[in-house]
Order: sequence, then structure tokens, then C-alpha cells
Amino acid sequence: MPTRVLVIGGGSGGTMLANALDHRRHEVTVVSASSDHLFQPALLYLAFTGAAARPVRPERALLGRHVHLVEDRVTRVDLGSRQVSTAAGRDLGYDYLVLATGIQSDPSQIPGLAELNARFGDYHSTVAQARLLWRHLDAFGGGTIVLGQSTPVCKCPPSPVEGILLADELLRRRGRRGASRLVFLTPYPRPYPAEAVNEVVEPILAARGIEVMPFFDVDRIDTEASVVHSIEGDEVRYDLPILIPPFVGADIAFEPPDVLDPDRFLRTDRHTLRVQGFDNVFAIGDGTDLPTSKSGVGAHLEAKVVARALKGRPASFDGRTNCPLDLGHGRGTFVIGSYDRPVARSRPTRLKHLMKIVFGKVYWLSLRGWLEPVFDLYFKLTAPRPS
Amino acid sequence: MEPETVPHTLVDARGSACPGPITDLSMAYRRSKVGDVIELWATDPGVKPDVRAWATKTGNLVRSVEHQPDKIVVVLEILRR
Repeated sequence: MPTRVLVIGGGSGGTMLANALDHRRHEVTVVSASSDHLFQPALLYLAFTGAAARPVRPERALLGRHVHLVEDRVTRVDLGSRQVSTAAGRDLGYDYLVLATGIQSDPSQIPGLAELNARFGDYHSTVAQARLLWRHLDAFGGGTIVLGQSTPVCKCPPSPVEGILLADELLRRRGRRGASRLVFLTPYPRPYPAEAVNEVVEPILAARGIEVMPFFDVDRIDTEASVVHSIEGDEVRYDLPILIPPFVGADIAFEPPDVLDPDRFLRTDRHTLRVQGFDNVFAIGDGTDLPTSKSGVGAHLEAKVVARALKGRPASFDGRTNCPLDLGHGRGTFVIGSYDRPVARSRPTRLKHLMKIVFGKVYWLSLRGWLEPVFDLYFKLTAPRPS
Repeated sequence: MEPETVPHTLVDARGSACPGPITDLSMAYRRSKVGDVIELWATDPGVKPDVRAWATKTGNLVRSVEHQPDKIVVVLEILRR
């Protein structure tokens, strides 16, 4: 009899994993709160270039025919009794559970931020928010743009640097850069936390006249005076604020509750990806507490590990990251590392930018698993080297 | 270990290279209060200069930095918040 695998979350990781399982061995069900699947990296281009294509497809069309889809919001997960409850009153059981529950933006953590994001938009939550931000950038005639992540945990760590560089590119193309001041806020000691990537990024920011305020953890925003204050005691005035909100794990009640850390991220074994204390429960993607970047490629690689484990094969996650970084003006670089191999310096090229664009184009196909041989070869050829 | 040296908060950032241990330290700092002690474990050698620069900027104290075979252990005291 096939074992029942229940996947909570229909994002990149959940969808890839469900499609990777063999329907002769597993009866696979995905529970997704949304009937739509958003390609999240596209929000950057909606917000900073006014890209028109809607990066959304129906989740049903992205899943293999063997995968059951339940469109419902999970409210409670009891790992002891193997019971999952939903908002519509469903009770779902499982033999194996995969938590691909993701993270969500939570501007309410910072005084003034919810009001600020609602007025100016952001590029880490929804299509509507990204388009709102584009309308403000499109209409921007001059003044101070302040951009940064409010807290140290950020979905897609390259995205803050990408945002400020694309804003710079837009203003230059429109001849408004001279009337604008660009300020980049970061909670880190330097613009990009990994030193090897920073060696590439920092000179580019300097060459483009972008001011950097390091050690800037957003504490509160005075929306009357248009000033952002940091925990460290600094402040900056804005005309157009682009602040990436804090992120928290999904709003699901867990039993036992201590499988979550204080930020509601799932306590996950770094190598087996099992949730602490439960051999039949795995976690993948942004919702884990793994010390890696929260990114689609992470979810992809973790889904491969869990698929192998569920097939009874040896499987261990090595912490591999592979994040493309758009440097503007058609150039890009990659952030590649793993748990035991530090991120190495990667020269910016047009090819790397093109690769980022191609990854976006083939995303929908990659969810089905049809490109896995190509990805396997790519990951092998680009594997980080020992330090 | 003497009870008074037991850290209030242990932050395990071993294996973290990107975004890096300073992420975990900053998150712990957000939740901290004056008088708290944070013990940070890391494997990324960049943690040493980063933590010292962080402490100078934020007005907090690096009590010790110790190299152990499998990790670097940094103990910080929160003086300002």
C-alpha cells in the first residue's frame, strides 16, 4: 500500500517535492492556502522596471496528475497524533509530513512600517504591492530614496542590493539621478554580509554614488517627519522609502509548540531536514531555521533531499546556496556556498545576468522536475570549492 | 561552568556563511535587554572582525573570543539597547 505523504505549502519547495515523488509508492497531497502560485523573484522586476507580465499561475496546473491538491489554509498541526486541521474544518492524516510552509512579511513588528508599506508598496509580498512601489518609482522626480531590509532575516538576501542598483539604473536612464540621493540601509557591517560578495558589490555602490548606512536595524518610522530610526541610534529622512518588512513563519499552531523558534521558524536538522524530534516530519524552504539563505534554490535543493529520503535512499543537505544577484545595467554575479565551503568571489558578467533571466523563464517547467538533469549538471559544475 | 558565567542566550550560527553569523547576532540583539549575555557560536572566521565592529558601533561589550577546534565562541554583554 502506498504511504501517505502530506505536503503543507504550494510554493517552490512543496510543489517540486510533490512532483518528484513516485505515485506508485506514495499517495501525495498538497495543501495550499492559495489556488495561485507566485514566482516571487519576479516582484523585483515588477517593482523596479515596471515589468508587465503577471508572474502567477494556477497551482493545479503546476502539479502532476497524481498529486491531490487541497486548497485550504492549515491552522493546526499536531505532530504527536499526526493530525492536520484546516480553516474549512478538514482533518488530514499522514504517514509522512513535509512542512513547506514558507515565511510571510510582518510589517506590524516595527512601529510605522505597516502604514509605510501600505502607502509606498514593497517587493517581498504581493504583485499588488510591487506594482504600487513601481508607480511611486515611475513618478519619482527627485529627492531621497531610502532602501533597506528592516531586520537581519531577509527573503532572498541579494534582493536589497538588487533593489538599490535597479533604482539607480532607472533614475540614470531617465536623467533624474542628479536630482536624487540614494541611501542604502543595512543591519550588517557592510553592504553585503558575505565578505567575498561584498568585495564585488561595495565598489559598484560607491561608483554609482549610493550612500551606505551600515549597522542600521530599523527600530521605528516617524511617518509625520518622514524619518527612519535605527536601534543603533541613527536616523535618515526619506522622500521615497523602500523598506523590506520583517519575516515570520506561517501562522500555524504546532503541537508541540517548541518545534518553532522565537521567530516561528521550524527547528530543522541541518542535514536530514527532519523536524527536531520527529522522524516522519521534514521541513524545507524559507520556513526552516537552517543557517542558509532563504531562497527558491534552497527550497529546490532541500526538496530533492527529502524526495530521496522518502524513496529510502541516502540523503543529506549540504547547505548549498546559489543565489543570482542582479547588479543592474545587464550584469550579474552569483552567491554560491555551502555549510562547510564559504562563499567565493564571483566576477560580474553579462552571462551571469542572462542566467538569472533564463532561470526565471524556465521556472514553471522546473517545478515539474523536467529539467532536473540540467540542474544536476549545473549544480555539479558550479559546486563551491573548499577554502 | 559556574552559574554566573552561564550565558542568557546561546546563538548557534555554525555553518552560516551567507548571510552569516552577524544575522543571528543581530536577531538576538533585537530580542535582548541591557545586562543580557549572548554567546555566539560560529565557524565563519569573518565573525571576529564583524562582531568587534558591531560592538563598537552599538556600544556593547565583547567579553571574549575563543577559538575551539570545531568553532569560534564569542561572548558579548549587552550594555546598550
